[in-house]
Amino acid sequence: MLVLQLTWEFPPRIIGGIAPHVSDLSRTLKNKGTEVHVVTCNFPGADEYENIGGVNVHRFDAYAASDSFLGWVLRMQKNMEIKASDVISNAGGLDVIHAHDWVSGVAGIALKHLYRKPLVVTMHSTEYGRRNGLHNDLQRSIHEIEGWLCHEAWRIITCSNYMQDHVSWCFHQPEDKIDAIPNGVNASKWQFPFDYWGVRNRFASENEKIVLFVGRMVLEKGLDILINALPILLRHGIPAKIVAVGEGPEREKCQRMAWDMRLSEKVYFTGYIDDDTLRALYRVADVAAFPSRFEPFGIVALEAMAAKVPVVVSHVGGLAEIVDHEETGLQVPRDDPEAIATAIERILRDEDLKNRIVKKAYEKCLRNYDWERIAEQTLGVYNKVLREWSSVPWKPT
Amino acid sequence: MILTWEYPPKRLGSISDHVYALSRKLIERGHEVEVLAEDDLKPGFEDMDGVKVHRVANPVKTHPMGSILTSVLTASVRMEQEASDIVYYYRQIEKKIDLIHAHEWLTVPTAISLKHTFSLPLILTLHSLEGHRCHNAFGPTSIAIKEIEETGVHESVRVIANTKWMKDEILRYYGKEHKRKTNVVPPTRKDWIPKIVSVYEKGIGAN
Repeated sequence: MLVLQLTWEFPPRIIGGIAPHVSDLSRTLKNKGTEVHVVTCNFPGADEYENIGGVNVHRFDAYAASDSFLGWVLRMQKNMEIKASDVISNAGGLDVIHAHDWVSGVAGIALKHLYRKPLVVTMHSTEYGRRNGLHNDLQRSIHEIEGWLCHEAWRIITCSNYMQDHVSWCFHQPEDKIDAIPNGVNASKWQFPFDYWGVRNRFASENEKIVLFVGRMVLEKGLDILINALPILLRHGIPAKIVAVGEGPEREKCQRMAWDMRLSEKVYFTGYIDDDTLRALYRVADVAAFPSRFEPFGIVALEAMAAKVPVVVSHVGGLAEIVDHEETGLQVPRDDPEAIATAIERILRDEDLKNRIVKKAYEKCLRNYDWERIAEQTLGVYNKVLREWSSVPWKPT
Repeated sequence: MILTWEYPPKRLGSISDHVYALSRKLIERGHEVEVLAEDDLKPGFEDMDGVKVHRVANPVKTHPMGSILTSVLTASVRMEQEASDIVYYYRQIEKKIDLIHAHEWLTVPTAISLKHTFSLPLILTLHSLEGHRCHNAFGPTSIAIKEIEETGVHESVRVIANTKWMKDEILRYYGKEHKRKTNVVPPTRKDWIPKIVSVYEKGIGAN
């Protein structure tokens, strides 16, 4: 089986969760005997063609002049489509097109009709969810494109049951057209020797407790809620320090917030950091907090669980499915700084609770979020789609 | 297969009438013509006295600031779908599309995809240029449109200009290297259609 993966980000170009997702998925699919061709945007220093452990990665020129972000995304996808055409003719055909989100889905729709092959779409997120509703024409436009994409897809994959429900409702899609397949985590990546204090001292002093936040700094990720929980922790005598990893439009606002609260030295904004440092940082953190307002999946919670750090998450979307309250972590209501402070305090004060949570969370990672299993489920979707496709008259002639 | 953004009854400018006359006269001379047009108000198929007209509506209705660029790019994908269906239909009845004749930058995104997928010769008529329409303003939309025009000229096997002046302008904007493949075919002349057909034949031969 030859599968084309369309994605606007692929390592080393990393914007959000799609890049590692497609990278891990492609690698595992390849190991199961699937021929995988990834078509993705170019990146300074990355080769136009690369063979990464058997996965073929083709990069195209993503530059295109435009009057807006939307205009660029659409023009970029035209280039993606042309590159994919060339890849397909060199490979002598294909079986399944797999597109990730609307930022590669439009090219997917075009290729579906040009080659008359089935299109599978993973909806990692939705504009409606990201913005908590639709408030302007740009958002409405993206929403329409997502709806068009879901309509054109043979089957839709979402990363959680929550998203299955959300996509079904948001775009009027039948629930049995959507498969919920979780994201995966490679737990062995977090087991490596490193200099514990060497890393820890870079981010906090010895007596401080590290509260780790990892994510794009946008409103939906709720870093502001966590910062509002900080004074409560300090008042209760917990020497907490927030280490916030990531970038985004909300970063400046959050920095300003910490400054106004006279807590600048208690919130460390690291910006983007490299993978090795990030994994070590997970290992030295005392607790990880993900106070999202909207979360389709929440891979960061899974990473924390793999790194054996206790997690506190808000009860939203995919996070609520990954973290079982009192079992594999603690859940708090959405948008509630006091509840977060209380949960973090409980974990930091109660060693038994912490050990129990960490152990069960790690076991759950190995049991439910193993890439082997996820690739197997994804292959199941491809096979189902191909079976259905072979029984309909819509075929290249 | 003719690609156009306007076909009667839709009229944005004079291209609608130009393409209408072209398609009718080609039919009269025994050629087969499939016209693919963007039309939000009248989508569907129509056989207009032998000219097969396929009109497609934009699948995405809302565009921020009414952007012409994003609206063209989403409608183009719908047009590719229709064009692919036509290509596959022809194959099924054991005939084939011989070439694509695209009009203006608006149809260039669709045309280049069809060219790459089905290896069809692409001929492009440029009726006007963004450089003229926007009086050399370098707004972001204009720059994007100029890039699309340039890609169109670059990817085409033949470019048609309606006047000698237009040919000079195309070469001035997009490079002298396109001189040999750019043909002047004035629609006002009596031998308009034979000239067009001879450009078509050269295009098919060169592909």
